[in-house]
Amino acid sequence: MHPDKNLESLTLTPAMFQVLLALGEEEKHGYAILKDVEDQTGGEVRLSTGTLYAIIKRLLSEGAIKECRNRPPADEDDQRRRYYRLTPVGRELAVAEAERMERLVATAREKHLLRRLHTA
Amino acid sequence: MEPPTASRADRIYQALLRLFPFDFRQDYQAEMEEVFREQRTHAEKNKMGLLRLWWETITGIFRTAPHEHLSILRQDTRFALRTLAKNPGYALVAVLTLALGIAVSSAIVSVVAAVLLRPLPYQNDSQLVVLHQVTSKASDGDVAFSVPEIKDYRSQTQSFSSLVEYHSMRFTLYSKDDATRVRAGVVSPGFFGMFGVKPVLGRDLTDADDQTGAPAVLLLSYEYWKQHCAGDPNIIGRTFQMNDRVHTVVGVLPPVPQYPDENDVYMPTSACPFRSAARANRDVHMMQMFGRLKFGQTPDNVRSDLGVVAARLVHDHPKSYPPEFGFTATSGLLRDELTNHARVTLWVLLAAAACLLLIACANVANLTLARMSARERELTVRTALGAGKGRLLRQLATESLIIGLAAAALGVWLASQSLHLLAAFTAGLTPRAREIHMDSTVLLVALAIAIGTSIFFGSVSALHSREDIGGGMKDGAPHTTAGRRRSRTRSLLVVCQVALSLVLLIGAGLLLRSLLKLQEVDPGFVPDRVLAVRMDVNWSKYPRRQQIRELGSRVLERIQSQPGVLSAAISSSYPLDPDNALGEGKNDFQIEGRPLRSGESPRIANSRAATPDYFKTLGIRLTQGRNFDASDNDKAPPVVVINQSMARRYWGNQSPIGCRITFDNAQTWHKIIGVVGDVHEFGPQLPAGDEAYFPYAQYPSLSAVLVRTDRDPMLIAIQLRQTIRDVDAQTAIANVKTLEQARQDAIASPRVLANLLGIFAALALTIAAAGVGGMLALAVNQRWHEIGVRITLGAKPRDVAGLIVRQGMTLVAAGLALGVLAAAALTRMMRSLLFEVRPLDAPTFAGVSLAVTAVALLACYLPARRALGIDPLLALRRE
Repeated sequence: MHPDKNLESLTLTPAMFQVLLALGEEEKHGYAILKDVEDQTGGEVRLSTGTLYAIIKRLLSEGAIKECRNRPPADEDDQRRRYYRLTPVGRELAVAEAERMERLVATAREKHLLRRLHTA
Repeated sequence: MEPPTASRADRIYQALLRLFPFDFRQDYQAEMEEVFREQRTHAEKNKMGLLRLWWETITGIFRTAPHEHLSILRQDTRFALRTLAKNPGYALVAVLTLALGIAVSSAIVSVVAAVLLRPLPYQNDSQLVVLHQVTSKASDGDVAFSVPEIKDYRSQTQSFSSLVEYHSMRFTLYSKDDATRVRAGVVSPGFFGMFGVKPVLGRDLTDADDQTGAPAVLLLSYEYWKQHCAGDPNIIGRTFQMNDRVHTVVGVLPPVPQYPDENDVYMPTSACPFRSAARANRDVHMMQMFGRLKFGQTPDNVRSDLGVVAARLVHDHPKSYPPEFGFTATSGLLRDELTNHARVTLWVLLAAAACLLLIACANVANLTLARMSARERELTVRTALGAGKGRLLRQLATESLIIGLAAAALGVWLASQSLHLLAAFTAGLTPRAREIHMDSTVLLVALAIAIGTSIFFGSVSALHSREDIGGGMKDGAPHTTAGRRRSRTRSLLVVCQVALSLVLLIGAGLLLRSLLKLQEVDPGFVPDRVLAVRMDVNWSKYPRRQQIRELGSRVLERIQSQPGVLSAAISSSYPLDPDNALGEGKNDFQIEGRPLRSGESPRIANSRAATPDYFKTLGIRLTQGRNFDASDNDKAPPVVVINQSMARRYWGNQSPIGCRITFDNAQTWHKIIGVVGDVHEFGPQLPAGDEAYFPYAQYPSLSAVLVRTDRDPMLIAIQLRQTIRDVDAQTAIANVKTLEQARQDAIASPRVLANLLGIFAALALTIAAAGVGGMLALAVNQRWHEIGVRITLGAKPRDVAGLIVRQGMTLVAAGLALGVLAAAALTRMMRSLLFEVRPLDAPTFAGVSLAVTAVALLACYLPARRALGIDPLLALRRE
């Protein structure tokens, strides 16, 4: 099945979105993803290994991420690690979700539920 | 709490990961372990951090693992449904076979659970006992209790916290122009309290109700209240005219099994005129006794306690308990006595159902294995493409699970539809039948059976198919190790199927032969076109014997003048009389000039009063002397007619005519004037007892009317009822039945049981034959090439057919041998259900084995014919 076909049916959970965000800049291995998610949420979201790999499995099967063949130089590499990166589909998905959130935030502002951003 | 050390932590984490499905672990386990190790390394600086990590990891695994399983299950289910849809024949046969097995077994498990396994719906049922008085040297049956005896047991036994009495009477409820007969249970106060039964409406009977002169009261049974009073919630206080008194309803009982009789109403003992009349007479035995054991009393204690009291009675009242009668008292648990008649029958049915279920399971397993042979290549290819063994196993198990669940649903539905039939059958064996229903336990059992068998057989076949991957790539799977093992398993399953069906068939055969023997028994009377009617007159209107005598004559005269009536008689009871099921007219007698020698068993006979045409109406032969006639009236010397059994027992080859006997200690001597043929009074399975018939004119007892007609007797039933009502409108009429119907009813239980087992056996044989045939068909398919070579090398059709038939019949022979051994061991438990047929009846064993062999040969015939049609050239090319 083509991944695009399933894109609409795939509902991103907040944790899945965090994983996509963590892979936004570069490919990462499992532990790095965990750390990134924790850092980017200021420690609010801490994924367990079980949750992380269930998400990875799901995102892989939907074609949102893929495993990288390129590995770091041998002296930095650990053979037991696998590296993942965002696919164009995954990027599209993350962007769509981010835009959706942006729209939500804008609406919230219009309704005066959020303060306007102060520009420096 | 200390966090685990590094290596222990790895082991614990690995163990936790086992909660994930196999495939998931295969893909991610190593990586997850590595990530967790890194997490630990970073968290180790802080003990709280480490504990938090463990907590998050464990809860994470418990949250996500079930989702992973579900997602795989969804995939497998979709795949399995697609696969099954491609082969609907297999799915249909497997579901139907298994559903049949589940239906039969869950229906019978429901019955067994309700009747034999669940506690009685009474408080602390293990303390409730039934008391028995027996005269072991005089007769087989129980002796009922007299009022003085009840007092003695109450005052002299130590083991009971409560002792109550019961007897059943037929009373007549009168309205202005109608009379209805009701079965009344006459009980002592505290009877229902002892069982822990509380009325659903109103109150229980009390001591005050039992005082002489107290207002007459009634407790209604739940069924009577529902059926005859439309469940009226305001029934309390309503009055009924019953016999000569007005009775007030004080309560309604809950729906509980009534033992020993299903009664319509209950009344206190003081309300029964018969009991009141016999209050001081130790020799009028009409009551039954029940007791509740004191805490800690065992059945053994109770028996010895009762034995001591009985011995005291024998010592104190030698006239009432002659030593030669072997009088004693004992007791049995109520729970056992309620289900005594049902126990063996139900265990036999349960065993039969288990056999059927096993055969069905074996058949499904066989089908699945055959299907695996066909799917060998598919599975091998999938393995080669990387599908793990666990994954394949799980997928096959899912297919089996779907079949199992469908079969369970269908089976439980079939069982619920047929349960009322089984309950009706059981009602003839035990009052507990009313407790039969499908409950959640039975549903769970059915589900467990379905899932257990389907997964087990699915997995077995899957394991078998995964043994040899390389071999599977070739055609001719039977040459592979897996193919051979599968073939062996299938052969074993066929052997089991044949053996189990043989056991069932032998069981059914024995019951059928027994039923035929029962039907062959000459009842001693001619039941065709004889109508029997029970009539209860308002005794209070006829206090004198002469009045009863005249009433009887009037009724008889009117009936005899009806068109279609060939002859008619009045009697106190008649053969297969439902109201005389216990042989209530048993009395001991003496023969003039022949006192009882010491050690000789007491002389006992059933007694009955009848008008002269009784023998003619029932078609009972007169073998010696003469019948009663009009001259044997109340003024003439007392006479008696006895039956052949009694004549043979006491007079041997000599004629008893002219001899005199007495039933009342020589106060009245009856001259024997005739001898008539024996009658199986209580059903064909019970031997004819000794009978003494007295002329109605000398002992008027108007209880039953018997009419022989020249047309369908039921046609004149209405007219008969009207005739009796014309004579006295306050006469209740009951048990209107032809004697032919009564005779059929008397063997209804053995007939239904034989039919049930027959149906099971026929199903089993069909399934087993299909199993043999199916296995051989597959064998022919697998040996296609070999047979082709044989034909090319000059094998004759006979040799080819012989090859296939031999393969099938070897298994059948093994099955027969095993089946005969199993049947020989198992039919013993049926002994009490058989009539004049031994459990090891050689003709049945031989006949059934022959029949199975014949059916098996038929099952071998089709595959053998197919083998004969093999074209050797095509077969060789196929290889």
